[in-house]
Amino acid sequence: MKRRVPSGAAKAAIEPIPEDSDAALDTGSLKLSSSDSEVSSYPSDEVASDISFESSEEEVPDAPVPEAAAAAAAASDQDELDRAVLDYVVASQQVAESSASPEEARTAAAQPSPRADSDAEQEGDTSDEERPQRNTVGDVPLQWYRDEDHIGYDREGQKLIREVQKKDRLDALIQRNDDESAWRTLYDEYNDEELTLSKEELQMVQRIREGQFPHIEVNPYEPEAEWYSKDREIHPLSGAPEPKRRFVPSKWEEKRIVKLVRALRKGWIKRDRTPKMDEAPAYMLWQDDGMVADRPSSGLAYVPAPKPQLPGHDESFNPPKEFLLSEEEAAARRMQAEENGDPAPWMPASFDALRRVPLYSDFIKERFERCLDLYLAPRARRMRLHIPSPEALLPQLPKPRDLQPFPTTILLKFLGHTGKVRSVAPDHSGQWLASGGDDGLLRVWEVRSGRCMRSWDLQAPIHCVAWCPNPSLRLLSAASASRLVLVPSGTGTQEVERGAAEALEEACSQSALAASDESRPMCSWQRLLQHEGAAELVHLHPVRQIAWHGRGDYFASVAPTGNTQAVLVHQLSKGATQNPFQRNRGRVTNVLFHPVRPFLFVATQNSIRIYDLARQALANRLLGGSGVIASMAVHPSGDHVIVGSADKRLAWYDMDLSTKPYRALHYHSAALRSVAFHPTYPLFASASDDATVHIFHGMVYQDLLTNPLIVPVKILRGHRQHEHEGVLSCSFHPQQPWIFAAGADGEIALFGN
Amino acid sequence: MGKKIKAGLSGNAVQYVTRNQALKRLQLKLSDFRRLCILKGVSPREPKKKTKGRNKTYYHTKDINFLAHEPLLNQFRDLHAYEKKIKKAKAKKNRDLAGRLIFRKPSYRLDHLVKERYPSFTDALRDLDDPLTLTHLFAGLPAERRHGLPADALAQARRLSLEWQAYIGRTHALRKVFASVKGFYFQAEVLGQTVTWLVPHQLAQVLPDDVDYKVMLTFLEFYRTLLQFVNFKLYHMLGLRYPPLLDPHLEAAAADLAALVQSLGPPAAATSPRPTPPTAHSSHPLPAAAHPVVVKPLRASQPAQLPLSNGVVAGGDENVHGDGDVDAGMDEGSDEAGSLDSGESGSSSSAEDEKRHAAAGASLDTGGAADDGAGGLQQAASQPGTAMIPSISANAEPHHEAEDEEEGEAGICGRLFRGLVFFVGREVPQEQLLLVIRSFGGTAAWDGPGSPLAESDESITHQVVDRPVQSHKFMSREYVQPQWVLDSANFRVWASTALYAPGRTPPPHLSPFASTDEEDYVPDYLVAMRKLQEASKAAQRGSAAGAAEARFLREAEEAAQAEDGQQDPAALAERAYAAELAQEAQVQDHTQAGESGDEEEVEADVQPEQPKTAAEARAAKVAQAAREAADMESTMLPRKKRKMYKGLQERRSAKRANVAALQAKARQLAAPLS
Repeated sequence: MKRRVPSGAAKAAIEPIPEDSDAALDTGSLKLSSSDSEVSSYPSDEVASDISFESSEEEVPDAPVPEAAAAAAAASDQDELDRAVLDYVVASQQVAESSASPEEARTAAAQPSPRADSDAEQEGDTSDEERPQRNTVGDVPLQWYRDEDHIGYDREGQKLIREVQKKDRLDALIQRNDDESAWRTLYDEYNDEELTLSKEELQMVQRIREGQFPHIEVNPYEPEAEWYSKDREIHPLSGAPEPKRRFVPSKWEEKRIVKLVRALRKGWIKRDRTPKMDEAPAYMLWQDDGMVADRPSSGLAYVPAPKPQLPGHDESFNPPKEFLLSEEEAAARRMQAEENGDPAPWMPASFDALRRVPLYSDFIKERFERCLDLYLAPRARRMRLHIPSPEALLPQLPKPRDLQPFPTTILLKFLGHTGKVRSVAPDHSGQWLASGGDDGLLRVWEVRSGRCMRSWDLQAPIHCVAWCPNPSLRLLSAASASRLVLVPSGTGTQEVERGAAEALEEACSQSALAASDESRPMCSWQRLLQHEGAAELVHLHPVRQIAWHGRGDYFASVAPTGNTQAVLVHQLSKGATQNPFQRNRGRVTNVLFHPVRPFLFVATQNSIRIYDLARQALANRLLGGSGVIASMAVHPSGDHVIVGSADKRLAWYDMDLSTKPYRALHYHSAALRSVAFHPTYPLFASASDDATVHIFHGMVYQDLLTNPLIVPVKILRGHRQHEHEGVLSCSFHPQQPWIFAAGADGEIALFGN
Repeated sequence: MGKKIKAGLSGNAVQYVTRNQALKRLQLKLSDFRRLCILKGVSPREPKKKTKGRNKTYYHTKDINFLAHEPLLNQFRDLHAYEKKIKKAKAKKNRDLAGRLIFRKPSYRLDHLVKERYPSFTDALRDLDDPLTLTHLFAGLPAERRHGLPADALAQARRLSLEWQAYIGRTHALRKVFASVKGFYFQAEVLGQTVTWLVPHQLAQVLPDDVDYKVMLTFLEFYRTLLQFVNFKLYHMLGLRYPPLLDPHLEAAAADLAALVQSLGPPAAATSPRPTPPTAHSSHPLPAAAHPVVVKPLRASQPAQLPLSNGVVAGGDENVHGDGDVDAGMDEGSDEAGSLDSGESGSSSSAEDEKRHAAAGASLDTGGAADDGAGGLQQAASQPGTAMIPSISANAEPHHEAEDEEEGEAGICGRLFRGLVFFVGREVPQEQLLLVIRSFGGTAAWDGPGSPLAESDESITHQVVDRPVQSHKFMSREYVQPQWVLDSANFRVWASTALYAPGRTPPPHLSPFASTDEEDYVPDYLVAMRKLQEASKAAQRGSAAGAAEARFLREAEEAAQAEDGQQDPAALAERAYAAELAQEAQVQDHTQAGESGDEEEVEADVQPEQPKTAAEARAAKVAQAAREAADMESTMLPRKKRKMYKGLQERRSAKRANVAALQAKARQLAAPLS
């Protein structure tokens, strides 16, 4: 936009400024006169064209005032200078008026500051728009209107009537003379206005005329920042001219912009940065109505995690006082947990108000551990038995009172032995009882009265006593040290007694005949001189057990340390002794004859071998448990064997069934010493070092398909433990449901129903 | 000759793989595998034969295949690749790109996993214990960058737990509550399933460093999704909108629970004795656009107990009062439902708002009607030392018709605190107490924004405080410690307020979860409370039959104070019967104690002066015989069962010893007092 101020239209008469004018103008000799036609020596159109040329040369569309001033300063010609001054003055006046109020403008001019300058500059930019020309004729020669009544047209197209210059010349002269400021009043022909210059503006004009900067505050001699110096700098500034690329639009930026625009158009870049929804909305996930679905989709059964145990009273913030632990109790509980390797036990704490409950510091840790359990612990579905009470586990057995008779109470005690009673044996009639013990006395008692009928001093501990089953002999046998003593018991008539003595004598004489052949007999039959009619079988090894065959002719003796001669079978009628086994597997502890068949049971420490004596072959072998077999007994039917062993176990073998126990019962708290079957009643018993005798109802059915019924019926406690030994031997009465038990305390008890 | 079977081709060797094999098969890092296992609910298995070694973790092959087909696996891989992009951008200092990438980070959802793991809603409810506990824990944790606790997850956890509490309170589903040292245990019955959860005490948690928060956050991630859908279903079954729209003012005031409860409206069985006067906040109606989404009316299959539309603040409250009010409330409710169904125009909802305000104003006016009822209650409550029996008071009777449909336990729980107005003090754990009070039918007010009543309101019957000295005491109300609320709720009977007066040590707080076997130890206070319960039940029956209440009250009093000298023949007979029972129990105790030597010693220590009569000796003999018989029978057990039997016996005897020790201690503690 070109400057449209036809400043050249103003006629300025330049005269020297009178001395009486303002002191500020002392240096200047500027004299301006307004609307003096004669003074205007320049054709206005020429000026206008000149000025317009000047301004068009400036290239800058909105020429600021200082530039005009500079242009004026640069002008050499005085006339040109004057014109430029006028131009400037008009422009600056327009600026002053365009600002809010003349007073402000004045103060702004009175206190010039760089800020005000810059303001002025900015105002100058918009001065044309701010203060529109009254006249709209434009850049036409004003002489066209010189003769007209109007100077031009306003925006509405109305004529602008000339008012100022219409005045009479005379009036104008008078006014000029009267008016003090007439000398600094200009006439703007274009707009038909009079402009009065202020003092500052006059000063400015003065400065322009002197070729100085129009504003006083402009210092042309600012101290120079030395951009270039002879000194060598650390960071030298390049003196190279600006490269071309600084002035050329960047190719890369353009490419980038193209990319961004494309991304925006295609929606790759989303411009709306609205925050995302923090969660997706929920919806109806389960449409079922309480139906439980089948297997989960993994195909494996879902094993829910076990629920943690719910808290008891002791976790309360205010538990009952009895739940609180004293210091000793707490320490004891802590120590016990430490010993067991358990986690630290819960210590109840009490607070008298809810507000006093502190933070539970392990809460997060416990939840974390629970989380770990949930995903790290293997899960398995365990079938847990729900047992309402331990009694529910017990088997359904007939009540003992339905299985009577069996021994329940103690009837008699046979007192007299001074040491442990090792063995006890009733005779076949049930009238007499033989016993022997550590005191070396072999005693015969009358069962009904409990009186000791007779006793033999064998001078060595007796380990076993046994009656000869032959009722016509009434012979008693006892194992004492390495002797097996046979004595007529003296319980029968005199004839019987004599018969027995004779039988023994004959056996000894026959044995002596036979022994003369052998160089070293296994056993020698001799008369026992200190007891009348008695005989002894002297073994090479200590004898521990005697077993009679049912007929009463054969009997076997066991000497566990005898190795190859551990088991010897003797024949009473011939006084003969034979060793059926050249070799024994293990240490033999017990032998027994089968009640009906020609079988011999040989118990070693951990198994029982059953030999067929007729065929001279091994018939069966029963496997024992872990303990040493202490005792065994055969059921009268001969098909069942009970075995008591040192591992506190009683094993019932059904020989038709298996070589392993049918039942292994573990009820004694100490090693078993003796087991026995009742010859007629379905009873069996076991005696143990825990000083008890257990009575069982052991019914064996004829029907082979029915298993034996075993019912514990009674525990007999009539003995005391002595030197860790309790009941050493037990034996049933042959006819009555009674049992004799011999104890380590030196007593023999008879239990009856 | 049969075909030779090669090892490792069948059986456990192919059914189970070790963890490292699984990692190789799935081409996953261990951390990703763990994360996937947590989300999918896959846990290790215990094979019968550990073919690859004893100390390894085994997974079922089917489980691993199941993981391999999970679409989430690919999403995780994509996410991993995406994270690499972000990392790269950050490394190249391309902050702009990094920011953009982070902003556009793809998300994934877990709802298919919820459905997969819990095919039916019941399954989900059964497994809700751990999710609720963990969510309640995280709801109270601060968002912390050091431990990587993200703020939005915690905020959601808080919201979900509050929604759950609001549901429980509204449906009166809470059954048991227990304030333990660890926190508050709650047990609720939701749709027939028992849900138990633990809420820590409202104190600033110290975050331990030896905890892997990533694991917990992964669990939380799944639990959040699960709870979101569970809450949706529960709310849907009530016919409520989910997520509930909260009053922004209350929300801003951090009174989230209040806002939530307000948004749900009153429960169907409205139990407040007095309408909630509109607070300052409720004068700001919810934005109209917020209303339109309403769940369709309930189907026939859903329980027909709660047919209320949402957003009703005052309408439902009124049907407790007068007849006219009931009608108005119902009318309004139906109107609103109609308008909600008809469309979502803003004008209708604004009209609705106006109506609501009008209704609220009306109900405020009628508030005086309830006052005399409350006064009666206060009279009943102000008798010192007596236990209050909920349904005796005559003024509770008018409420009965409204909710007789709720039967059984739910009904008892929902009616327990009906007619009571609690003011919960600032020092009391507010959220927990509000849950208990609301779900047992009481009305709660508190000190803070959103409270329906001010502290000075005359209708408040109980003030729950936990400070020994009160600055100002209102004479018209009872002052109780928070334990009173918990104990009353657990025993379903109003305990004596005198015992729980502020400043004194309350009676012991008993666990409602402790087993109630006859063999277990029964604290004295439990006995007293049971008596009180019996009395209350008897009173209820009596009042139902129209019998005199005074007798039962007297009886209750007697039960509470254990006084003698009653002339009532029925009471006499009862006492005689009780004495007989006690005697029998004593004999039984004695025989039980005789079973083991230790116990006998304990007994002997405690009661040395007890004479041994012939009858006792005979009884002891019989017991001995019985024990011997049992011993003998146990000898016939096979070894395995015998061990089990022995173990059970030992456990039982240990338990009895424990009980005996506790009894002895209790007696010893009681001795110096008497």
